[in-house]
Amino acid sequence: MAAIDPNATPLELTSDAPTKRRWTVGGIALDLVTVVYFLFALFPLVWMLLLSLKAQDQLFTTYFRFTPTLDAYRAVLGLDASGSVPFVRFFFNSLIVSFGAVLISLLVGVPAAYAFARYQFKGSENLLFTLLSFRFAPELMVIIPIYVIYQRLGLFDTHVGLIWVYQLITLPLIVWILRSYFQDLTPELEQSALLDGYSRPQAFVKVALPLVKPGMAAAALLAFIFAWNSFIFPFVLTGSNAQTVTVGALSFMGGATPRYNLTAAAALIALIPPLLLALSIQRYLVRGLTFGAVKG
Amino acid sequence: MSGSMAPAPAGQATDGLLPAWRRWARPYLLVLPAVALTIGILYPFVQGAIYAFQNYKATRPDPAFIGFRNFERILTDEGFWHSVSVTAKFAVGATVVETVLGVAVALLLARSSMVSRVLERFPILPLMVAPIIATIMWRLMMQPSVGILNYVLRPLGLGDLAWTDTPTMAMISVILIDVWIYTPFVALLVLAGLRSLPRAPFEAASVEGAGFWFTFRNLTLPMLWPYILVAVIFRFMDSLKVFDIIFALTGGGPGDATMALQVQAYQDAIPFSNFSLGQTYMLILWAVVYIATFGLIKVLGKAQARAAGV
Amino acid sequence: MVRGNRPLLTDAFGRQLTRRRALQASLGAGAALAGMRGTPFPAAAQDSAAADVTGDFDWKRNDGTTIRVLLNEHPYSAALKANLKTFQDLTGITVESDTFPETNYFDKLTVDLQSGQASYDAFMLGAYMVWQYGPPGWLEDMNPWIENASATNPEYDWEDVYPNLRTSDNWSLVVGEPLGSGGQYALPWGFETNTVMYNSEVFDKLGVQPAETMDELVELAAKLDADASGAGFDGMYGIATRGARQWATIHPGFMTQYSREGGKDFELQDDVLVPVMNSDVAVAFTDKFATMMRDSGPANWTNYFWYEVGTDLGAAKAAMIYDADILGYFQNQPKGSSIAGKVAWHPGPKGPDGSLLTNQWIWSLGMNSKSQNKSATWTFLQWATGKEHLRYAAIEGNMVDPVRASIVEDPEFQDKMSGNINYLETFNAIINDTKILFTPQPQFFDATTLWAGALQEIYGGADAKETLDALVEEIQAATE
Repeated sequence: MAAIDPNATPLELTSDAPTKRRWTVGGIALDLVTVVYFLFALFPLVWMLLLSLKAQDQLFTTYFRFTPTLDAYRAVLGLDASGSVPFVRFFFNSLIVSFGAVLISLLVGVPAAYAFARYQFKGSENLLFTLLSFRFAPELMVIIPIYVIYQRLGLFDTHVGLIWVYQLITLPLIVWILRSYFQDLTPELEQSALLDGYSRPQAFVKVALPLVKPGMAAAALLAFIFAWNSFIFPFVLTGSNAQTVTVGALSFMGGATPRYNLTAAAALIALIPPLLLALSIQRYLVRGLTFGAVKG
Repeated sequence: MSGSMAPAPAGQATDGLLPAWRRWARPYLLVLPAVALTIGILYPFVQGAIYAFQNYKATRPDPAFIGFRNFERILTDEGFWHSVSVTAKFAVGATVVETVLGVAVALLLARSSMVSRVLERFPILPLMVAPIIATIMWRLMMQPSVGILNYVLRPLGLGDLAWTDTPTMAMISVILIDVWIYTPFVALLVLAGLRSLPRAPFEAASVEGAGFWFTFRNLTLPMLWPYILVAVIFRFMDSLKVFDIIFALTGGGPGDATMALQVQAYQDAIPFSNFSLGQTYMLILWAVVYIATFGLIKVLGKAQARAAGV
Repeated sequence: MVRGNRPLLTDAFGRQLTRRRALQASLGAGAALAGMRGTPFPAAAQDSAAADVTGDFDWKRNDGTTIRVLLNEHPYSAALKANLKTFQDLTGITVESDTFPETNYFDKLTVDLQSGQASYDAFMLGAYMVWQYGPPGWLEDMNPWIENASATNPEYDWEDVYPNLRTSDNWSLVVGEPLGSGGQYALPWGFETNTVMYNSEVFDKLGVQPAETMDELVELAAKLDADASGAGFDGMYGIATRGARQWATIHPGFMTQYSREGGKDFELQDDVLVPVMNSDVAVAFTDKFATMMRDSGPANWTNYFWYEVGTDLGAAKAAMIYDADILGYFQNQPKGSSIAGKVAWHPGPKGPDGSLLTNQWIWSLGMNSKSQNKSATWTFLQWATGKEHLRYAAIEGNMVDPVRASIVEDPEFQDKMSGNINYLETFNAIINDTKILFTPQPQFFDATTLWAGALQEIYGGADAKETLDALVEEIQAATE
């Protein structure tokens, strides 16, 4: 139960645990190493931010000294005449299909994960593995048959169509992460709820579900990010109605001159929803991503 | 304690009062929606697989079945084995670097220093940029003429790096971008694992004056192993089917130096419109990933069982 | 119809293939097809839907119809969308367009055509794509439409489109047979010829002139590479061209100069199509070109798409480029780059015999042969490639280079382009020698992609002769 106890103190691993002196040479050195990694991790994003604030004629003339302008953002958001890419609409499309896909995956994935964790039934291992293997099938392999089917069923260029195909990305992730969480839940809790007169579905909703909330949050966030960034499915399976931000951001690279500033601005705008989502469930996130947590 | 991958049989135990058929049917009913939702994909998958046994291409619109001849040809083609070796190098290289770095970052972030607390909020950011866009930005950063990397690295004496100009550098650059995007994924999984480890053994070790490396080797690493392995599985599988990054950075070049399997499959299937050939490549790739996943999951099950016994 | 051609191709492509062998097999097919060169093709006009259109020409003939169009994100499509209302008012036809980024545009189009779904009535394509999309019967032959006075407005003036452009989309579908006969599988819309573009400020300061021969170009590039940095152009190198591992590396500057020096991609020898990228002239030129790029080109050249070529000129890092002429045009726009207004054009080095042969890229518009709205689609296509819209797009938008002579000669257009040093002079100097210099065959993309890979290896230090022999072998092995 430790893994899902929200009050557990995080483990201190190294010498600068509070019991010892706060600023040691080793501690500062490790801080420095940490900062170096984050320079590497964040620098490209800072660079994108700088690019997005540059005018086209200053893009490559200087690195850090330039006259910042919001023109790129204006163009991306369609606030000036130059914008031919309806990025704002793509943005909302992405929101709809990514949230939709994650929601559906949670709705069908949670019961499935629960079943895989709690019941031993014939074919369960195979079914579980098959669900995972969808995530590993090369997308290009199925894309043309799906394209034909979508055209015939009228799912081409629709939100529903994308939400469905995104299940290939989101569902395996959610089932696999949540299954481990349910496994970590001792069955006694539910059993005592049953003895208290709850029905089995009630015991599931009232007892088991709240305890795996962190896992759900974490799995949902990762699934959301992967759905949000998906490129090949929305690229092939949409026209202009359901196109998404990834396709839209790439559009600024085309034509006659590569608009790096617009592409960077678009990518940064596209970063906002997953970032907000991550920050809002930050507490759950780090604690929640524990596959099949191991207890001592 | 139920840490192993083996399903806990608790469900059956608590369903004792239900009629037998409902007891039997319940797990299937619970799984049914998930399966129903994805079963639709089986049809395109099978259809995609069928192409691998035909000779369909744009210039030959009436395909015929040709059995395993596509496979025969591919498996005897040196280009294929070259792609296999490129893919293996990339997958192993990227996974190893990401794992080592990810574990290190997780350990650093698990410290209670202020720096770690602040930075803990940001490790996932690179993961949030779509890989194809991230690669375009890295491409620009790596461009020696106007890119920022060589400018920034010049004081370190690395101002003249030609990032993708030689086969070795191209492979390193592709791996570097993959590492940038996905190290946070590993770090996050491992950090979550760290946070859920029991405290007692570490306290005991600390009381007995064990050093950091001793504790790391004998306590942290063994207990962390299942989490690391989960991260390894996800990263290794995904990097076997690498596409976006190589497609957008080198297109497989210079020469054939970064021609990974799925990049080759894509080229054959779409730009070269030799659809059946591309599908065969992908079917082979899928089988490889399938088998590798199967094996890794078995290893994972054992590791978790072992860790649970610590 | 195209369909009549299928058995020919099917019989000919008799072999099953690995990646490398795919190419050879199809060229084997080329050989077999070439053996049947005399075979007349069934006349396209007979079963063309164009024959159903009779009576007087009427813009409103398809009033109320909706057609769907697939576009690439590009100034050409931007100009089209800006003017679309004019078309809809004129004809009552609604045009729904889907626009996709260039990086994967052709993947999108290929998937759609391959799926046989006919989701789009019309689409943008390049002339080389005709060689890939034509043989399977995916493209409508436009000749019967152009020739039908009931379907085509009297002002259309097809002859106004430069002859070499019309020819480029006109093919018999016989592998290896020259362009200029058979079906008109696409209509030229906007195009790019290939020229040398240079930073005139740098040239003035260093007192150098554009090169007139390949050897001079090599020397000039070296001189610029050595001297520009010292003359106040920090980090400037000699020359940029594309160098990435993709087909598009071959077709601009490289193919242009390769042809001027006398190089060919394929030759028909005894009715067999033989790759000849390893001929003596080819080896000598390829070696010289790769060496020039190594000595005076950008570091990391093997990563250069047109993006990098254009941005390096605009960032005053490349003293000159040898690429699509419109790359310079867009860098030269006010606020387009840091050297706006300073770009100058030159036809590039002549061949030993004075040749100014120039390869070209043509954005064209094609019609889906499975379209259910062919008459309405044709109405759209003739408007989109007609004088009025193209004139609007060239003058109000950025639709350069224009495919119609009347627009290039238009004083307003000349005025618009006058700020681009020697753009028009260069254009006029090479327009008659600007044509597609590749041999038409469906495996164009495989062959040129492998070719680019070989070029990279030579640039990396591999022996030119050996590498090109291996390339030819790779392309040819199955013809044994």
